[in-house]
Amino acid sequence: MAASLQGWSQPAEAFENVIIHTADGEVVDGGTIVWRDGIIRSVGPEEEVTIPFDAYVRDGGDSLHVYPGFIDGMALWGSPDTDGPGGTPDEPGNPGYKRAGIQPQRYPSEHLKANDQALEKAAEMGFTTAALGLKGQMLPGQVDLFFIRGKQTPDNLLEEGVGVLAQFKEAKGPAYPSTTMGLMAQFRQLFYDAEALHRQQEYFASVSSSYPAPQKEKELEALYPVMKQKQPFFFVADSKENIERVLWLQDELGFDMVLVSGKEAYTKAQELRRREIPVLAGIDLPEKPDWMSTDDDGKDEKDRDTQPAEVTEEMQHFRERQQQAYKERINNINTLRESGVRVGYSSNGFNTSAIRKNLLILKEESGMNESQLLNILTQSTADILGYGQRLGDLEEGRLANFTVFDNPFTEEKAKGLFSVSNGEVTELDSESSN
Amino acid sequence: MKKIVLLFFALLLSPAGYAQEKGSVLISGGTLITITDGNKENTDLLIEDGVITEIGRDLSAPDGVETIDASGKYVMPGIVDAHSHIAAVDVNEWTHPVTAEVTMEESIDPNDINMYWALAGGVTSIHLMHGSANVIGGQNETLKLRYGGDMDELRFEGAPRTIKFALGENPTRVHGQRFNVQPRTRMGVEQIVRDHFDAAFDYQRNRREYLEAREAYEEGARGEAPVPVAKNARMEVLVDILEGDIRVHCHSYRADEIMMLMRVFDDYGIENYTFQHANEAFKVAPELRKNGAYTSVFSDWWAYKFEVYYSTAFNASILNANGVINSINSDSGELIRHLNHEAAKTVHYGGTSKQDALRMITINPAMQLGIDDKVGSIEEGKHGDIAIWSGHPLSIYSMAEATFVDGKKYFDRDKDADDMRLEVNPEEDFEHAGRRWYEEHGRRGGTCLRGAEVRFNEQGMHFRHQTR
Repeated sequence: MAASLQGWSQPAEAFENVIIHTADGEVVDGGTIVWRDGIIRSVGPEEEVTIPFDAYVRDGGDSLHVYPGFIDGMALWGSPDTDGPGGTPDEPGNPGYKRAGIQPQRYPSEHLKANDQALEKAAEMGFTTAALGLKGQMLPGQVDLFFIRGKQTPDNLLEEGVGVLAQFKEAKGPAYPSTTMGLMAQFRQLFYDAEALHRQQEYFASVSSSYPAPQKEKELEALYPVMKQKQPFFFVADSKENIERVLWLQDELGFDMVLVSGKEAYTKAQELRRREIPVLAGIDLPEKPDWMSTDDDGKDEKDRDTQPAEVTEEMQHFRERQQQAYKERINNINTLRESGVRVGYSSNGFNTSAIRKNLLILKEESGMNESQLLNILTQSTADILGYGQRLGDLEEGRLANFTVFDNPFTEEKAKGLFSVSNGEVTELDSESSN
Repeated sequence: MKKIVLLFFALLLSPAGYAQEKGSVLISGGTLITITDGNKENTDLLIEDGVITEIGRDLSAPDGVETIDASGKYVMPGIVDAHSHIAAVDVNEWTHPVTAEVTMEESIDPNDINMYWALAGGVTSIHLMHGSANVIGGQNETLKLRYGGDMDELRFEGAPRTIKFALGENPTRVHGQRFNVQPRTRMGVEQIVRDHFDAAFDYQRNRREYLEAREAYEEGARGEAPVPVAKNARMEVLVDILEGDIRVHCHSYRADEIMMLMRVFDDYGIENYTFQHANEAFKVAPELRKNGAYTSVFSDWWAYKFEVYYSTAFNASILNANGVINSINSDSGELIRHLNHEAAKTVHYGGTSKQDALRMITINPAMQLGIDDKVGSIEEGKHGDIAIWSGHPLSIYSMAEATFVDGKKYFDRDKDADDMRLEVNPEEDFEHAGRRWYEEHGRRGGTCLRGAEVRFNEQGMHFRHQTR
């Protein structure tokens, strides 16, 4: 439980006889973790940790695994769905900010749907913190950091506006901008307009009379912190070309940014490192082509029958290229890491239930070990969100965010049993955690 | 079919090797169609580091430079297509009658296999155009077909800026008839152009005055704070047109609207412009000549909408005979593969000379794009953008055998089966990869109204827009 404002001290809590995994891959068997007021007070081998007299203690029976709470750097959990097609504006070329998908002033904290199943599911999968964004078009809103606690999540806001979400999504239906090049122009124009409005407001404030009052434009005002590099864009882009387009905009408009999703970010790894742009990478991996599947992949004979009897020379060439393309995509995160790019994790709409399966694929096929994967899901994402000292690991002084699993988290059968977020314990319903 | 299938898939070289590299090659013993200096039989052509350095006989290749024997073959400048929509992500930001702020520079699809097919037709440069759904559409981008390179590597460095205008049925139907937004008529089209040019003048003055006042205020030379005039991306481009920094390429068909736009441009002092399509341009050829206007037409493509019924296969020849600098373009992912045939039609129908016919797909489009100092003819000092043809390029039996950009080979018919620059999707099966382009684009792929299609049905024409 977080620190009480009423002035009395909350009792401590502890898990003992648990296997503790830290973000750097260290494993402590027979460990103990103690927290009070939402802060980890002590963690380590049982002989080094003193459990306070008032602590409520749970026994892990030497078989439960405690991991730092996973952090999703940009998730859409709890976001209301976007409105329908939006109808036809009077003038498709002047649809107004909202209709165009320009709503950077919206805060998830004001729109979150508490009953979204994804918030429950996320806790079961080990997530205790997430930066949440809203579904929408080019500028759907701010990104707010929450402790993830199922239905209570909306009441557990940690920080509003850790970034402003941006993406190459055209306005729906007949409205400007309807193309990628239109989006590029619109991003620029918004910055030009925001700059002019900001200046007019400053001039207005600097005199007592004889100056026209500036219009109130909350959409533009919401971009000021990005313009002044006080708040980063969380820019979603996947293809090599779209990442290049974002970099063109960055050169011109001079914003700080975090790249979100970045399926082909590996193609720009050196450039991202040079610009010190961190990547909150997705793990929405490509399906393996049938011909690459081995017997172990559980493909049944029926699938195999669809394979051509003869592999022609040209087909073989195609397969070689395809295998290379598949490997490049699977190795995305690893390539970025090895190039010196800071990499965290973002689901950005990816189905929470499929996370473990894809983490397993990464472990088996991309040459990343369990502790490297864990680091991306925890400390590295915390660093990118500016919470590297408070979240992302199990050590004294950090916020008490962790999950207790019955097996190592990368095992398919692993189930979350307890989720601790900001010190609050939620006993997870093991029935639904499959 | 086997050949086509090979062409689609069997492409095996790392894309990394293609970038904006320049190559050196000696092409010996061919018949050089220089375009600007007649044909030269049994002549060698040396390209070094991407530039034509020597034309003559018995040239020897410098150390390490490959020699290609072209004896019995024709060597001509790479074809320049002044109107193309291949290698585009989107073509039409159709939503407003004026979208000068958008640019095809930011809408390049470097993975489009159409570039490879165009190279196989001897094409080395294209004018990637915005669509024709709005009166003043987006800016265009001139590309070199360095297929396998990324967006930046495809750009034609030093090519002047150009922009798309469109008259007639497309903008009136999309805006006036579908959304009740001006223009609904051809008169409205003219007024949109005039109103926006006038607005651009106002903007230019207001913005300049504001910037001057701001500077004075911040330096203490002025007491009163100015009211900001925001930079306007659309108006900035319109101002650049008025200043003569951007060439206009205008989609047009009817003679009356061609005359209209020339009058408007005369009023506003705009001088460098090309009428695209211009099916009725032959009716006003002397007027076009007098105004120094260029035309870029189809050889014989018409009747796909009402305003395109009054057309003739003599259009290009009449324009040419009247001294109008005319080019033959494709506006199509299919026609671009045989622009040599399209040019040959002017010889067949209108009796145009073979040399002039070839000019219409080389130096003339290069002039219209402002790149004629770099490409469009075989001259020392120009870029090594050339194609080797099995026979005379105007013959129906001839094929481009190899195509070079900056002296580097980007198409080789002999090595077609080993070429593998085609983007491969990890999730796509072999069969589908071959059908992909046609399934995504159908026969209409790469045309002017892509993304804002006007379709015929029993009730007449209907506008239909696509969003992704």
